[in-house]
Amino acid sequence: MIAIQTNDVDIGALIETAKKKGTGAVVIFDGVVRDDDITEMELEAYEDVAIKELEMIARDATEQFRLLHVDIIHRIGRLSVGENILIIVVSAGHRVEAYAGSRYIIEKIKKGVPIWKKELTKDGGRWVPGQHSS
Amino acid sequence: MWWYDNKKNNTGEEEVTVKIRFFARFRELLGTDIVTDVAPGTMFTSLITTVAKKNPEGYAAIFDETGAFHEFVILMRNGKRIDIADADKTVIADGDEIAVFPPVAGG
Repeated sequence: MIAIQTNDVDIGALIETAKKKGTGAVVIFDGVVRDDDITEMELEAYEDVAIKELEMIARDATEQFRLLHVDIIHRIGRLSVGENILIIVVSAGHRVEAYAGSRYIIEKIKKGVPIWKKELTKDGGRWVPGQHSS
Repeated sequence: MWWYDNKKNNTGEEEVTVKIRFFARFRELLGTDIVTDVAPGTMFTSLITTVAKKNPEGYAAIFDETGAFHEFVILMRNGKRIDIADADKTVIADGDEIAVFPPVAGG
């Protein structure tokens, strides 16, 4: 599943779905809202483009690391401290490919997918600085 | 694909209709989903300059004091990135969706 959505997901169910014939390792990346003295975090996406780019990243990772299954769920809207922001589930025959595939996906998302975060504080808010890369 | 039919302006010249989408801080300053008609042959940079000038803070967020895009600004036309160096020679076409946004920070 590749999705941008407001709702949280059942990570346990995703792990079960990720287990395919030949799976020997499933790696989960769960990015959460850190308690940096904020009240909430607000996330925004250029959804049409972001979904296409996430799909392309998943395809590239699958090919490059021989993954058996990939889920990428990026949440948007207002999230509280401790809530899930981004869940990446990858399944592979061995841990080396699973870890490498998961790392590839998160770094690609950080580098280029059009999604932004704003930290909301008692005094207002500030946009999290992004990477200067396209 | 978002699309409108061509229209004619008061000189009878066909105009092109485009949608401009700003995101994150740019959206807060300038709004988003701005639908506007422009003359045929309008360039990407010219279009964004005109729209951004409606709010000095929004303009300053996107352009430097020489009127050039800040190097960190990301430009898209119909979901594809455009180099800043090409923006002043990229002609806007009818039905284009133009996006302008700051560096991304997802994940």
